[in-house]
Amino acid sequence: MKLKNDDLIFMYKTMVRTRKLDEITIKGLQEGKVLAFYHSSQGSEALAVGAASFLRPDDYLWAHHRGHGIGYILAKGGSGRDFLAEHYGKATGSCLGVSGFHFADPENGALGAAGTIGSVFPMSLGWGLAAKKHGRQQVTIACFGDGGSNRGTLHEAFNLSSVWKLPIVWICDNNGMAQYTPITDAYAKDDIADLATGYDIPAVVVDGMDIIAVHEAVQAAVEKARAGEGPSMIEAKTKRFREHSIGSPDVVHNQPRTDEEIAEMKKLDPIITFKAKLLEQGVLTKADVEKINNDAEAEMAEMDQFCVDSQIPDPSILNTLVYAE
Amino acid sequence: MKEIRFVQAINEALEEELSRDEKVYIIGEDVQAGTFGVSTGLVHKFGPERIMDTPLSETVIAGAAVGSAMTGYRPVAEFMFADFMYVAGDEIFAKAAKWRFIHGGTVELPLVFMASMGGYAKLGAEHSQSPESMFMHTPGLKLVVPSTPYDAKGLMKSAIRDNNPVVYLFHKRLLGLKGEIPEEEYVVPLGQADIKREGTDVTVVATGMMVQFALKVAEELKEKVSVEVIDPRTLEPLDIDTIIESVKKTGRAIVVDEDTKRCGVASEIMAQIMELAFDYLDAPIQRIAAANYPIPGGFMEDYVLPQTKDIKAAIEAIAD
Repeated sequence: MKLKNDDLIFMYKTMVRTRKLDEITIKGLQEGKVLAFYHSSQGSEALAVGAASFLRPDDYLWAHHRGHGIGYILAKGGSGRDFLAEHYGKATGSCLGVSGFHFADPENGALGAAGTIGSVFPMSLGWGLAAKKHGRQQVTIACFGDGGSNRGTLHEAFNLSSVWKLPIVWICDNNGMAQYTPITDAYAKDDIADLATGYDIPAVVVDGMDIIAVHEAVQAAVEKARAGEGPSMIEAKTKRFREHSIGSPDVVHNQPRTDEEIAEMKKLDPIITFKAKLLEQGVLTKADVEKINNDAEAEMAEMDQFCVDSQIPDPSILNTLVYAE
Repeated sequence: MKEIRFVQAINEALEEELSRDEKVYIIGEDVQAGTFGVSTGLVHKFGPERIMDTPLSETVIAGAAVGSAMTGYRPVAEFMFADFMYVAGDEIFAKAAKWRFIHGGTVELPLVFMASMGGYAKLGAEHSQSPESMFMHTPGLKLVVPSTPYDAKGLMKSAIRDNNPVVYLFHKRLLGLKGEIPEEEYVVPLGQADIKREGTDVTVVATGMMVQFALKVAEELKEKVSVEVIDPRTLEPLDIDTIIESVKKTGRAIVVDEDTKRCGVASEIMAQIMELAFDYLDAPIQRIAAANYPIPGGFMEDYVLPQTKDIKAAIEAIAD
């Protein structure tokens, strides 16, 4: 699909909204409104928005856990307000305030989110199998990190997705860090994509800070999957701007990451570089950029107020949720 | 009525439900051939797309079942031995059991996890376990443990039609057991205990193979003690009312469980009897279960798993 100017603007807006939602969630955590924890996605917005934009609503999405999936969710048409309300523990949240930080929006193909890293593999395999059985050319977008790639479940699912030619696009957000452990101490090769080719799954490595590169790679894989040509894998090399979990130490093993190191990373900020590109190409004006920024801020302020004003769930719902009728 | 073996009863239930609902499919290792015979032959009628053989990939078998159930399928995932379900712990205990709950009821998980269970076959520690307590312990799972061909068929049909994850454990030593079932279609609802033998002196609660043990002992003791044998048939939901009603009548209760004694199913049922019928008890509740060891292979198995002589001794002692 050739991206039109409106598409580029949608992608830029969605990245800005993702960053603002990330920031307000961090603020909410610091103010005690967010009840659990939060794993910031700052630095991986280009991957999330590039991967999940312009999919079909009935395509299944397993979002990456960074940002608890926000970039993917917003790009796929999910509600930021439902996301934030869930984090605030409110009945208006996407899971009625019961999960605390998971997100589900089946109408938009987001069937749920997990707490255990690496469970993406068997579960997405199930969604891919269902997509194939349905016969409606749906695809499953299944995202994991370099940390998740260390799980043995990857083997079982990569293998069978290839044997059964399932319509799955495996996407690895490789930011080089699994909590405090660098990839160099967790994986023997340079590219995680090599794991896929071992199962005869075509794989590419892209610059995860470049939204267009990500989008083109994912769309090519999506088209193949829709055509019944089986799974693909995309490894996106990204940067993790923040600590693993907000408030946790920002360390490599036990050594703090330096300010210089972080500053160097932030020169690659995908929102800033994409903005510069769109300004240069004349797709956006400075006034447009300002309006997008202001609109996103206003949206977040409104969301925050809505979530603050929302009720906490009535505990009587608990008994209705364990088992279906 | 017709006479049928336990293994055929399960096979009939699967065949009927596969015919009834095209969303039902079976997935597991060698289900086309059928390791225990429960799914044998179905591939001829339903094809390999619905009787899906997988390699040795338990996490994917469970994940495929959970994932596809969320999108409208009704998979029956087969694990061969219940012991192998531990490999897929995350998919069973975290995903299947919790995902409807934690996602605010936005998804449903109509699926069956099926496996053989139990010992008395001298297959050693990793092919003989009775892991009911782990499933019963986990909110979100239902648990079926049939003891007769009639129940095996009727409960499997209910398990497949249920909109929740149901663990269905069939005892590998019961597969050859013959019993009568109706010619016409029937189901056995989940959560309804069955009084397998009526009696007035002692209540024995048991599931699976232990029901057959208890019935044998009750028959042997019939001149001396009138034993009532209650089979809950499903441990979640548990029909505690039928158990309590029996205990109120007999005043004496023994819970027999092939699972490990410590924190086992028997412990839970005893606790509920204590909570609900303490004033009716004429003697302390007895519990017969496997010793707190891994299940050994060879001749040593007999010293760990509950035996009919243990049940007999307990009944004689409590009735005395």
